[in-house]
Order: sequence, then C-alpha cells, then structure tokens
Amino acid sequence: MSESHRVLTAHWHDPSVIPLAGYEAAGGYRALRASLGMSADELIQVVKDSGLRGRGGAGFPTGMKWSFVPRDSGKPTFVTVNFDESEPGTCNNRELVEREPHALIEGSAIAARAIDCHLAFIYVRGEYLWQGQVLQRALDEAYAAGYLGRGIMGGDYDLDIVLHRGAGAYICGEETALLSSLEGFRGQPRLRPPFPAVEGLYESPTVINNVETLMNVPHIVNNGADWFKSIGTEKAPGTKVFTISGKVERPGNYELPMGTPMRTLLEEHAGGVLGGRALKAWTPGGSSTPFLTADHLDVGLDFESVMEAGSLLGTGAIMVLDETDCMVEAARRLVEFYAHESCGKCTPCREGTWWASRVLGRIESGHGHEEDLPVMADMGEHILFRAFCALADGAVSPIQSTLQHFMDEYQAHIREGRCPVTGRGPGRERGGDHPAEDDRAALDVTFAGAGPFEIQGAPS
Amino acid sequence: MSRPEQLVNLTIDGKQVAVPAGTLLIRAAEQVGVEIPRFCDHPLLEPVGACRQCYVEIEGQRKLFTSCTTTATEGMVVKTQNTSGVAHEAQVANLEFLLLNHPLDCPICDRGGECPLQDQALAFGPGESRYREAKRVYPKPIPLSPLVNLDRERCVLCARCTRFCDEISGDRFIEMFARGAAQQVRIAAGEDFRSPFSGNTVQICPVGALTSTPYRFVARPFDLSTVDTVCPHCSAGCNMKLDMRGGEVVRQLARDNYDVNDAWLCDKGRSAFRFPDAPDRIATPLIRERGLEPASFGEVLTRVAEWTDGARVAILTGGRLMDEDYYALSKLARTVFRTNDLDHRRTGDPGAAASERHAAAKPMALTYDDVETASAILVVGLDAEQEVPILHLRLRKAARRGARIWVVHPRRTRLHDVATHVLCAPGDEARLLTGGADDTLDEALAAVREGGAGAVVLAGERPGAADAAKRAADATGARFQYVTRRANDRGALLAGVHPSLLPGGRELDDVDDVEAAWGPLTNREPGRDTMGILRACVDREVDVVFLIGVDPLRDVPDAELVRRALDNVPVKIVQSLELGSLEPFADAFLPASAFLEKDGHVSTWEGRGQRLRAIRGRDGISLADWEIFASMALACGGDLGFETLDQLHDEMGRLTAAREDGGSESGAGTPPVEVEPGDGLALFTYPLLVDEGRLTEGAEELKAALGQEPFVELHPSDAAAAGIVDGGSATVRTDAGAAELPARVTEHIASGAAFVPFNQPGLAANTLFSGRMVTRARITPAESDPARPEGAEVVGAVTGGEA
Amino acid sequence: MAIFEGERLDEARSIMARYPDDRQRSAVMPLLYLAQSVEGWVTRDALREIGALIGVRTAEIEAVATFYTMLRPRPTGTHLIAVCTNLSCALLGGNDLLEAAHEATGVPVGGEVSDDGEFSVHEEECLGVCELAPVIQVNVANHDRVTPERVHEIVGSLRSGDVPEPARGPAVESFKAASRILAGLEPLAKEGATA
Repeated sequence: MSESHRVLTAHWHDPSVIPLAGYEAAGGYRALRASLGMSADELIQVVKDSGLRGRGGAGFPTGMKWSFVPRDSGKPTFVTVNFDESEPGTCNNRELVEREPHALIEGSAIAARAIDCHLAFIYVRGEYLWQGQVLQRALDEAYAAGYLGRGIMGGDYDLDIVLHRGAGAYICGEETALLSSLEGFRGQPRLRPPFPAVEGLYESPTVINNVETLMNVPHIVNNGADWFKSIGTEKAPGTKVFTISGKVERPGNYELPMGTPMRTLLEEHAGGVLGGRALKAWTPGGSSTPFLTADHLDVGLDFESVMEAGSLLGTGAIMVLDETDCMVEAARRLVEFYAHESCGKCTPCREGTWWASRVLGRIESGHGHEEDLPVMADMGEHILFRAFCALADGAVSPIQSTLQHFMDEYQAHIREGRCPVTGRGPGRERGGDHPAEDDRAALDVTFAGAGPFEIQGAPS
Repeated sequence: MSRPEQLVNLTIDGKQVAVPAGTLLIRAAEQVGVEIPRFCDHPLLEPVGACRQCYVEIEGQRKLFTSCTTTATEGMVVKTQNTSGVAHEAQVANLEFLLLNHPLDCPICDRGGECPLQDQALAFGPGESRYREAKRVYPKPIPLSPLVNLDRERCVLCARCTRFCDEISGDRFIEMFARGAAQQVRIAAGEDFRSPFSGNTVQICPVGALTSTPYRFVARPFDLSTVDTVCPHCSAGCNMKLDMRGGEVVRQLARDNYDVNDAWLCDKGRSAFRFPDAPDRIATPLIRERGLEPASFGEVLTRVAEWTDGARVAILTGGRLMDEDYYALSKLARTVFRTNDLDHRRTGDPGAAASERHAAAKPMALTYDDVETASAILVVGLDAEQEVPILHLRLRKAARRGARIWVVHPRRTRLHDVATHVLCAPGDEARLLTGGADDTLDEALAAVREGGAGAVVLAGERPGAADAAKRAADATGARFQYVTRRANDRGALLAGVHPSLLPGGRELDDVDDVEAAWGPLTNREPGRDTMGILRACVDREVDVVFLIGVDPLRDVPDAELVRRALDNVPVKIVQSLELGSLEPFADAFLPASAFLEKDGHVSTWEGRGQRLRAIRGRDGISLADWEIFASMALACGGDLGFETLDQLHDEMGRLTAAREDGGSESGAGTPPVEVEPGDGLALFTYPLLVDEGRLTEGAEELKAALGQEPFVELHPSDAAAAGIVDGGSATVRTDAGAAELPARVTEHIASGAAFVPFNQPGLAANTLFSGRMVTRARITPAESDPARPEGAEVVGAVTGGEA
Repeated sequence: MAIFEGERLDEARSIMARYPDDRQRSAVMPLLYLAQSVEGWVTRDALREIGALIGVRTAEIEAVATFYTMLRPRPTGTHLIAVCTNLSCALLGGNDLLEAAHEATGVPVGGEVSDDGEFSVHEEECLGVCELAPVIQVNVANHDRVTPERVHEIVGSLRSGDVPEPARGPAVESFKAASRILAGLEPLAKEGATA
C-alpha cells in the first residue's frame, strides 16, 4: 500500500514523536488548537461527515454517538477512553499508544471539547503497566505545556484527564462494565437504557470511545471529512490497524484501508502462513468473531463484507491457524477464556460458558460422547443473544463456527478418543479448571470453616 | 393516588391491556393473569435482568426480550411462554442452565414445597440432566448470623438478597464475591449479617439458599396452616402471614401491603413469636387469699366491685391492647370509676401535649405513602430503625426517590447515609427548631417550608421533641405526625386512655358527643399521668390501682418509685397474660387473651386501624380485655352498653373518627422541656429494637443476632474531660442509682449528652432514672479503670427488673 | 499496625484526590493496588481499612477485590511470572512456557507461591502482545517471543537478584513494585518507549 494511507501509523518508524516536542514538530496538537476555535456542533458535524465508525468492535458511528449527549442535563459530561484492550488476538491499541501517546491525548481532548467535558478518564487495562506509564508521562507533558489543565492553550476551556488502571477483567471493555469499574464497583454490565450518552459515568452523560477511534479524530479535524472518506470503503471509511498473529511469517500490526482483502494482508504484509503450511482457519476480529477458513481469503476486511461471509470485523484482530492445529483445542481455549472472564451476572453466560468449556475439554482430551455434539449445538443457540451482554455471544462464535466448519474433526476426536490432527490422546485433561478461577474464590478460606469451592470427582 | 399517568395499549398472549407508560412487561402480563417465570425480578427491587428466565417474544423483533427489564410501548404485541414456542424453549433452556450446578437436595431443603425453582423444574424442566460434568460444590451451609444461613450450592445468583441490602435496607453486609461460575454471595470475613432486616433476604430468596435458623428443619409447607395477622411489636403495623403447626407458631413472614409495610418485616417481627406461649402465661383468674389462688371471673369481679366501691381508683396500662380494649377501658374509667387517673404512657411527657391531641383527633393525617412521596422530611426525636423499623425503610425509600431528609436527634441514627443529622442535646429541640440557631437546621426548615404540604415532619418520643417539631410543622405548612412507638399507643390515644383527653382527642370539657354516647360525665378535672398516679400511690392517695397489660417495674423509668407505689397502694389488680415481676404485689389477677386469640383493631403510627382476627382459640379461660371491662362494669353496678364487638365498634367509630376541628393547637403553650439543671451530662434512654422486653421472650436466635450488652455512649469531648476511653469502663451515677458500664466513645452523639439503652441484659436502666427518659448523670471512670480518681465509691453493676 | 497511616495515608488521600469529591469510591481499585504494594496481596485488614477510607462496608470492598484477577487474595511470591496461554500464544508454544515456568520456579500447578517465597506463576488470558507471541510478564513487565529456555534463564537471574530487562519499559523489581506503579504512585520512568 502507499505510504499516504498510513495515517495512524505514519510515525511508527520515528521514536521522536513519543515525547511532546517530537509530536509537536510532526504537527501534533494542531487539531486540538483548531478544535478550540470550532463550536461543539461543528466538531460533531465533521466527525459525522467523515463516517468514522468505532474501532472497538461494534462499529457504531462516532459522530452520532457524540451527538446523543444532551446539552441541557444540568450535569457534568464525561469522556471515557476505553483502553482496556483485552480481546484475544488484539493489540493495536497498545502499539498505537506506545508509539504516539500524545495522539490519544489529542483525540481525547477534541472529543471532550465536542461534548463540553471538563474531566476525562482513560481506562487502561492493568496488564498494560508500561503503556500506562507512557501515557502518564505524556499527560504530564501535556499539562506542563498547557494542552491540558485550566485554560488550555491560553483559552478559557478547562480539561483534566485522569488515568485509571483496570485490574484484570476482560468484561471491563464492555462500556457499561467499564463505567461500573471506574466508579469503584465490580465490573458488571448495567442495563441499557439509560444509555451512557444520557446516564453514564456518575449518572451523567458520557461518551466512551476506543483508542484507535479517538486517534483518527485529529486527522479528521486536520484534513477534513472528505479526505477521510477517500480512504477505505463507502460504509467504512478510513484505515484500520489490523493485528495479525498466530501462524504467520510476519505477525504484527498493519494499517490498511478498510476493505483490504484478507489475502492481501496475509500474503503481502504478514508473509503468508508460517513455514508455508496450509491455512486452516482464521478469526477476522478477535476471539469473539466466528472462524473463517481458507475459502474466505478474498473477503474484504470491512464491517459489511466480513458479516456477509458469516463473521464479524470485531477488533480487526486476525488469528491464523494452520493445518497442524486442532480446532477443538482452539475452541476449548477460547471458550475457556469466556468462562474465565464471564462476570457471573447472568445465567446463560455464567453457566453456559462453564458447561461448554468443560464439554469441549472432555472432547479434546478424548473423553467425548456422541451426545456431546447436539449439546454443544444447543449451547450455541441457548446462549446466543440471550445473555445480558455480548460477552457470551463471543463464546458462541468459536463453538458454532468450529461445529460448522470442522464437524469431522469433532467426530474424529469422539470416535478415536484422541486428536486426529496432533495425535494427542487422553492425559492432558483441560477445561474449566483455569487456575485463576480458584484464586478468585480463595478468600473463602478466610471464612470460618469454609474452603474454596472444589471440583467434585473427575470428569466422566 | 392522583398522579397523572399516560397509558399505553399492548397485547399480551392475545389479550389487550392498557398500562401506565413505563410499566415492565412482566407486570403488565400479571394484569392479564399471565405469570411469566422469574427469579431475579422483584416488584420492589430495581430491574436487573440477571436470571434471564422471563424471556418473551415481541412481534417484529429478532431477539427475545427479558420481560423484567423491558417496558411496554404502544402497540406492542407480546407472546409469553404460553403462546410462543421460542419463548417457551428459551425458558426451558435457561432452566437447564440453572439446574446444572444445583444440588437438587429438595428433600432436605427448607424451601422444598414452596420453591419457585422446584415448581418450575417440575412444570417444564427436562426430566433428565444432560450435564455429565462434576458439579460445583461448596461447604454448606455457612451461618451468616445466628438468624440466617447460606447454602451457596442452591443459590441461583439472582442477587435479590444483595440488592435488598443495597437498595432497601442499606445494610450491605452481603455482596456478590468473585465472578463467573465462581461468583457467590458472601459476607466479609469475621463479620455477621447484623442487619435488623436480614430475614427479608430469606423470604425473597427464590430458592433454599438463604434459610432461617428458627425455621430450619422445622416444618414442611403442607404441615402448616397459614393465617393473616398484624405484627404486635411496634406501631409500624406490618402485615404478616403466620404459619402454625398444631396451634404453635413456627414462622412469621411478611404479607404484602404496599400501603403499610410493602413486602418487608423486621427481624424482631419475624423472629419474636414465642411470647404468647411463654411458660409463665396464666390463663386462670387468681385472687390473693393465703397466696394467689385460682378463682372464677365472677369471684374476682365481685371482689373488684367491693374494693372499688367509693374508692379512689387509678388505672395504668401500656401500649399493646387493641383499639376496642382501650375504648372500653376509657369508658369504664370515666363512667364507672369516675376517674381521670388513667394513662397508657410510660411517663407522660408535657412536651408532647399538643402532639398527642393532634394524634388523637387526626388519624391518618400523614401516612406511609406521604412519607414515601415527600420532597423534604424532618425527623425529630425518633430513632426510626430501632423504634419503628419499617418506617425507617420507608424513609430510606423516600431518600431513594429524591427526598431530602434531616434528623434531629441526640445520637446518630441508621439513616445517617441518606439523611443529614443535627445532633441535639436532649431538650434542645425547641430552641433549634425555632430557627436561627443552627445553619443546617435552618436549611432543613427552608426546604420543609418550600415543600409545604409535600413536606413531612415526623416526631418521636424523645422528651420535649414532639411539640417542638409540631410547631415547626405548623410554621412551615408541612404535614405532621407524632410517631408513638408501641404497637397500639395510637389506639390508646384515640380512645382517650389519657388523664386529660376523651376519645377523639376531646378535652375533658368538650363532652357533648361523648355524653351522648356515655351519659353524663361528672369528673372534668384532668387526672394524673403515669408518674402522677405512681406518686399518688406512694402518698397513699390511691386506694385501688389497676395494672392492665403493663409491668411498671420494667416499663417506667423510675424503678424505685414504682416499688414504693406498689408497697403503699392497698389494692393492686393485674390484668395481663402473666404476672411476671408483679406476682408478689398482685391482689387479684384477671387473665387476658393474647393477640392471636382476639378479634379487633390495632392502629399504626399513622392512626390506620387494621383488623385482626382470632387465629386460635383462647388460652384457658382468658377473655379479651374489653370483655373483662364490660363484665367489670356490670359487677360494679355500671354498664358499658355493649355485649358484642359490633356494638362496641358502632359506638367507638362515632367517637374516634378524625375530627376536622380537633387537635389543631400549635403547642405554643407547651413549656420548653429541659433536663433538670445540675452537674453532669444529660443522660437519656430509650429501648433498642432487640432488648429484654417481654415480647422477645424465647427469641434466642434474634437476641444472639442483634442483641447487645448494655453500654453508655458519650461524646469524645465529654469522655476526655472525665478521663474515659472508648471500650473502657465507666460508672454512671444519677440521683436514682448507679451502674458500671462499658463506655462507647463516639462523635455521633451530642456533646453534653450520654445514652444508655433502656433494657439490655444485665441493666434495667429504669434504676437510673427518676420518672423521665432523661436525667442528669455524673460519669466517671469505673473502679477497675486505671484513670479512675482516687476515693470514688465502688458501685456494682445494677441488675433490675425481670430478665 | 494499620496499612494506611502516616505517609501511606497521605498517598491514599492523593489517590482519592484524583476523583471528584463525592465520587471517592472510584479510588477503590488504586487503593487496593496500594495495599497490595505493601503486603504483596490484599489482606483482610486492607479490605477493612479501604472500606473505612471510602465509607462503605468491608464486604463491598471485598466484592470488588475478588472480581479482578490482578488483585491477589492470598500471599504472592516476590516475583510474579505471568504466562499467556490464550490462542495466539498457545499456537506458538505458550503452554510450554507455562510448564517451564512451573518447573523453573518450583511453584506447583494450582499452587500460589514457591517454597522459598520467591515466585508465583499465573496462567493468564491474552496479555495484548499477540504479534510477538508467545509472551510472558515478569512483575507485569513484558517479555516477548519467549522460549522455555528463556523462561529458565529469566527465573535464574531473578534468583540471583537480577531482574532481566523487559522488552519495553524498565524492569520492575517485584510484584509489590508493580502494584505500586499500578496504584499510579511510582515516579515515572525517564526513558522513551523502545521500538
């Protein structure tokens, strides 16, 4: 691709943009200055006109999200940056912040300006310890230079940005769970309505945006909506920073126009499948998106095309599996992730992901039964769209897509009592016994006479 | 209620229904008689959508919707499990999920037979589980308190219990811990579920996860006969379901009444149900010959007639009879004994005179609903959680709805997280409430004034608080209610069981209506109040005293005076369930029926008369109090004029109905009530919710869960001046007596004030008081305390009254 | 001795000051991290003291603490080796790293701390460095493209008192030190992010 389409990653080769001086030298904070001269309506309009859609997974139009914030609620408004990047396979936010932290601050400040917010939070996942430090240092620089704080850039607009660290919970990427967590509660999702735009953080109007989304904003302000729309597809303008990982020669984060075919990303950028082996399956947008196969290599990587192919663009995180990988194991590991990360609030997610992870573990280790397959099929149907939030739907993706594309592999596991791909047989029992699960119940030992819960008996 | 409501029309299972906008589908379905299965939903808790059992299909929508979180909209077409195969299938599937880890130990579960999960599993659950994996197991059960046990294996994690503690009681002792499949209800390590509302979590638990210790393994639902009644413990008037097995009460549950107690009950109401069967209950008349000997009613009443003939008669009673009993007693005193020496109050508080008139003349002047919907609420001299717990919950509900609440009280109350407290030295209420004395209170008065009739002033029994509060209400236009504490103090006031009030709050010279029913009333001189009667007994100015449902040795804050009174008055006639500590003094005993055994009414603090029915036969040959009074009148040559309850009601209704013109004086003439001058702190007392009172006899689990040892509470500045440390031992010395007590030093009490609970185990505080619930006390470090000044007298802990 | 007293109480107050006055509950997570930086785990006393600071019941704090995996409910080793075994890492040998970590540290599978108290090993969900899989974290600092041999080397140098340089950012000397950074209290590193 041409360098001109590198927007968010244009300066990745240049570490000098990490500190403020370098960022300024490269044109940084120009957009924030411009936005201070614009009205909130003008700002929202340009972002609406650009067609920018959220990069966190759902693809909701960003300008529209901002426009939902009421002007006359009599309450403060808040911008909350979702830097809880935890979707397996996804790490573009991390690298974006590492390599150009001020771009996030600038984008956040412009979003704040658009909804007349004076206190913004960046919620960064706890595991991003260093990235949080990078951001905090950038925030300190921005305060010192007058880009944040009272009367920013000499004007009369005040803005504080506070960094808030998560502590290990994927669910906090769900926006209402993030708000619960930021308020000091368990990170469990809340009912909508009321929607965060009306009643979010501290029961006040709140905009929650993903890191990559906000980083696009300064470029839109600088270059205009038409420029942005000239990149990508009609319905999904702009670029996308795709993460490709797993069995490829050159895994990494690659910024490409929306709609770039998977084949281009895999073969031209990622160097093809590792060791020249055959592609078996891939996720287009992280663990929550149904697996596609080698038959789908020409699918364009944008919201609509991927959906047409039977999956979702999600976070644009592509995990590649080759012919030597076991799909039952892959499904088990991903479902186990959802069981581990389920917040516990609603029944289908809490019980369904737990059940599914254990059945998959049993099949994987050669203890499967024929009757397990209809159970797994039912499980997909009984969880999908029935849980409180979308986390559980994520667990259904690997279940349903592997059953759809790799049913013979399941049957072989059950029939042969071992994995037909890797040859592994019983012995490596997995499923539902993620060690951290015990950790969470461990406080039980502090209650008189009550130990942590135990798993009764061995899997049958 | 007259709030404007916009209606929306929708169709549920083919039935048209119009409901107010904002109504949840699960409620709308109930209106057309369709019950959608649910676990987490509760009409008094915020929607949560956790259990996912209540799925319905909405025409035109791809996904299913949880009916407990979806509001009805115009034209919506809803299909429940009854008409939608998809919804039915989703509910069956969800039930399968819920049962995966459920132990299915129904045969040993207290909830068996009345369990929504069991019912639904039987109705449409799969016959056989497809779950091959090992189940989650937990140690079971774990006690959360002496009253409540938790079995986490049975829990379906609906969060009703934790939401109750968050939204309703505010006592967040239990929470969801951990997450995912390990999520569980838990309590903090080393803590007890010390909430006086803990039992509600057991009642709303939709499975057998939370169980009640007093009911554990006691009965099966099909062994029980259930009757409706009203709780006898305080003036909240909670509606209850009472479960009996073979005539013995084994469980009490809240009965929904959204006008009174919503769906709640405090733990005392729930657990203290053994007193009617106390071992010292006496159900035979007794008369003192050589000792107290059994007799017939006729024999005793004949003697009563002899004793009272031409005698100076005084009558003391308490707050726990029924409206009809009080009415008959008021009439008996005035028409037969010609006396106004008649009182039901612990002491008689001159600072509540106008409030009492108002309460007596204006039942329902202010109700629970008015509290709930008020914009501003001023609570004066009332510790609602400890005194009228369900009113406390309604105040919290009001706060949740946006009411601003201020509490004027000498010590902080459990409303502290939803109300602003003004800690006020006892007797200082009048000065503060006049305005200009305290900025916070002035803000409160301004808010109350702004709220006008939408604002509420509630006054309690702290001495001097009531009329001060009433004046503030009158001055601001707020609605007012004097909240008396005991179950039927209000009924006693309405009936004129009071030295200077006739029924309906009429003055003694406002006799027209009363004489029309009762005949001429000759004695128009105000009588003596409780303390006056006792002093008159001491001074031998009373010949015969009736003690009706009261034990002044325990209830009156001057134990020594009572003892001398009982020694000096020639004839003591006791009418009650038992003799208790009065046994050595009684000349005659008349056995009264317990509340379970009587028909009649009890009035809430609002003045709402609630009907009770006899739910079991009378014990022995006991009679309802009013029947005894009627017979006594005949024996003494009078006639109360009614032989049946209907006749009594007819007359009573005419005299105790709300009176437009009654009880309107402002209390401006009420003298300020001050603690007697002198050295030391203003020591005040009132009974805590769980104490050594008669009605908690046998409620050992309750006492273990919520009881506490006696203590004296004082402010850090006063403690420092006296050399007392928190947790140290202090000697409390008053004109009446002394006691050595553990000290609690807290800034949440007015400086210059000190508090002792009235009746905790090991200390009957009425040994410290001289006829009022407040006195002067000198508080010093106790003998055992190193900081104690030399030469101080050694005083042992005082134990008074009957435990 | 109380955890939050003296200088540490000042630090707790400074954490609370990040949030609006009437929203102090937002400080619960950083306060839990601060407590963890003292003891290496969240003790019962910490839960109680934080409840008192914020003005809520202990159970409410415990409910929060037990929700998040980075807040440890029992004693943790000086160093925490966290191994990602989610799909991208698993495809490239993450499970072998986990085995190696247990082997090298002596922390038994399902156990919390090595006998010498030096190490804890956790199996982790995605650590967000998928393009450089398989990855581990040592005291929440990243090590990329790790091999089982490298795990043994890292554990070896930790044993000898050296904390190996991570792939980006400075080395973090212990799990307690990591918790302090997570509470937002560590002086910021001077160097820029390494490419």
